Amino acid sequence: MTEEPRIGVYVCHCGFNIAGTVDVKKVAEFAKTLPNVVVAKDYVFMCSEPGQDLIKADIKAHNLNRVVVSACSPSLHEITFRTAVSEAGLNKYLLEMANIREHCSWVHHDKEKATEKAKEIVRMAVAKARHLEPLQELEVKAETSALVLGGGVAGMRAALELANYGFNVYLVEKAPTIGGKAALIGYVDPKTKGAEIVSKMFDRVKDCPRIQVLTNAELIQLSGFAGNYIAKVRLNPRYVNEKCTLCGECEEVCPIEVSNEYNFGLNKRKAIFLPFSNAYPPYYAIDYRVCVKCGECEKVCRFGAISLKEEPKVVDLKVGSIIIATGYDPYRPFKGEYGYGLHQNIMTLFQLERLLDPDSPTKGELIVGNKIPKSIAFIQCVGSRNTTPGAKEYCSRMCCTTAINSAVKIKEKYPDMNVYILYKDIMTYGSDETLYEEAGKKLVQFIKFEEKIPKVSITPEGLFIDVFEYTIQENLRIPVDAIVLSIGMLPPRDIEELIAVTRVSCGGEGFVREAHLKLAPVEAPTKGIFLAGCITGPKNILESIRMGSAAAAKAMSLLSKGKLTIEPMIAQVNEEKCSGCAICVGVCPYSAISIKKVNGDRIAYVEKALCMGCGTCNAACPSGAMQHLGFKDIQLLAQTRAVFGGEMNV
Amino acid sequence: MSETKGEFEPKIVVYACNWCTYAATDLAGTSRMSYPPNVRIIRVMCSGRIDPQFVLQAFADGADGVIVAGCHPPADCHYIEGNYKAYRRFELFRKLLETMGIEQERFRLEWISAAEASRWVQVVNEMVTQVKKLGPLKPNLEVRE
Repeated sequence: MTEEPRIGVYVCHCGFNIAGTVDVKKVAEFAKTLPNVVVAKDYVFMCSEPGQDLIKADIKAHNLNRVVVSACSPSLHEITFRTAVSEAGLNKYLLEMANIREHCSWVHHDKEKATEKAKEIVRMAVAKARHLEPLQELEVKAETSALVLGGGVAGMRAALELANYGFNVYLVEKAPTIGGKAALIGYVDPKTKGAEIVSKMFDRVKDCPRIQVLTNAELIQLSGFAGNYIAKVRLNPRYVNEKCTLCGECEEVCPIEVSNEYNFGLNKRKAIFLPFSNAYPPYYAIDYRVCVKCGECEKVCRFGAISLKEEPKVVDLKVGSIIIATGYDPYRPFKGEYGYGLHQNIMTLFQLERLLDPDSPTKGELIVGNKIPKSIAFIQCVGSRNTTPGAKEYCSRMCCTTAINSAVKIKEKYPDMNVYILYKDIMTYGSDETLYEEAGKKLVQFIKFEEKIPKVSITPEGLFIDVFEYTIQENLRIPVDAIVLSIGMLPPRDIEELIAVTRVSCGGEGFVREAHLKLAPVEAPTKGIFLAGCITGPKNILESIRMGSAAAAKAMSLLSKGKLTIEPMIAQVNEEKCSGCAICVGVCPYSAISIKKVNGDRIAYVEKALCMGCGTCNAACPSGAMQHLGFKDIQLLAQTRAVFGGEMNV
Repeated sequence: MSETKGEFEPKIVVYACNWCTYAATDLAGTSRMSYPPNVRIIRVMCSGRIDPQFVLQAFADGADGVIVAGCHPPADCHYIEGNYKAYRRFELFRKLLETMGIEQERFRLEWISAAEASRWVQVVNEMVTQVKKLGPLKPNLEVRE
């Protein structure tokens, strides 16, 4: 900065809020004695229009090139005064606030001491102001389309919201169908099945020209930044095209049989298969991971819908914003956990949900081990709220409601069946509480256990559960025909890949973390990336859908402008000083810094749009080459020295 | 340090992150809480920005105590993990203070959330009492400018 600083200091009375405890006249007089201060004034309300006009007039009259407003917290009026000084032709970053209200007059009562402190606060602000520099906001062009990762309810909802408001959306789903887990399991409420909601959403997605559904697709690389992301998406071959009429002849000739993940392993499926009856896109898919390309299906297909020559493709999608909605994985009980895997009548809640679905191998009949059981017991909190290896300490939120809902459905269908629910606590929060009451009326028997978990015994006489009933304080031995393990939610298996590609971060529970639960919900810490559904932790279907809408709203506020303003208070490299040691590269939480070769020298390079302005690189830089604009070393050191009346040379 | 009416009034420099601790100091004001006027607050965006050289400069210039404050670990930090960076830097730095003849009790690293105005007041009160007990800092270090 070559120009000599000419500083104006403006001390606000804030009515009596400041002037009642601080002698503002004395503070203004003191300010006049500080280096480079040209003018200092006090006024009753600086933030009022006459107050602002006073500053504006002085900037012109005294040719001021810095302004210090000594008033309230910058969090309250920094923007007000920045606007005021910029209206007078001054760069708005040449303003500094001295907080003498929240930090002084409101917390102290001794007028003399408070006045002394206020003087020092002003001295510190003036010291920093002497070293302020004009900064420029940058504007970059931004894409107006979005990428939604994950075609479950949260992702579909987000895509629909965005499309409804006129934005183009790529809906990228790893599986051959969209719909996610909600298509297979669960009730939005006791009357509405997740699958019904999903198929209604399919109809809307189908009819929406702005949504491009990419199934069998994976995000493999993400470059760029908010407003200008380039997403590399691999389209894995489906081998079946839209000519498919769902006749199913191919399925009969396919020699490959694998466990059917869409029925949670209840039955087998072929390598060519239809995930579920209303899958979308509505045609068969060949599982490229298991197909041996024998060609039988291609031969038998009468519609020319199958081509085994299809190759994987990689496409680059230019998008402004990304919504991650890749969901969760069900907890995987270990072999022998409550007898799981040792007896065919011991299943997970997800498997039971499939059995009760009309689209299931049993056409909705509860048939286990070739017959309808006379009694069935649910064990709650399997993999949730406990500390066994692999389990999670959190509550998975949906298992109580889902189990009780299934129990009610079972009771409606088979009134004579004995249905037990073994639980720690019942978490049917909100309106789901009525479902709990309903279950009681239908004589579903609730058995409470505490620390001592129930024990499942597999005997020649059948299955038994030994449990210490907490409310009656008695040991019970319950003979049952079938056992359902109410398993919770885990972070998706491929979350590591997601993190590697998108640079989002994980919380302690292994799910993706929001930037701030209360102050920046739905946002990932990286600008332009938003989160929806169970990827941030267990949620029920309704909550996931709402989060999809919320993420879309946040993405829209970014996409709607078609351009992006980059805050100037970010990191800047002095290329002369930088030795390319790359310490800054390692500390940057946003991967905004990289090392580039400039004329053969290694130099740190800051991608302005990625930098969020935390300044940690500045603190770590050993040579002082990296500076946090607005909070440079010299500015903060000057402020520090001014506490004691010292100065940093301009 | 400053001497008023004979009693030792320590001067304590505070480096506070914008999102948590600075907000707490504002909240203490808007809630009209009361604490001794010995602290001078310097705002930074993140506790990860706070360079140990600032703290050294403060001590060299006459600070009787320094507080570095940011957002609660693990997840309150506005910049993902700046609080951990501050933690790493200053836990190490604290150990070096003693070698410079500065009592470790003159330095505090604190996590104060935006809602914890009363925690802020408590930290100031404790620090002022503690530093008063230690007396003025007479450092035997020279910081070259």
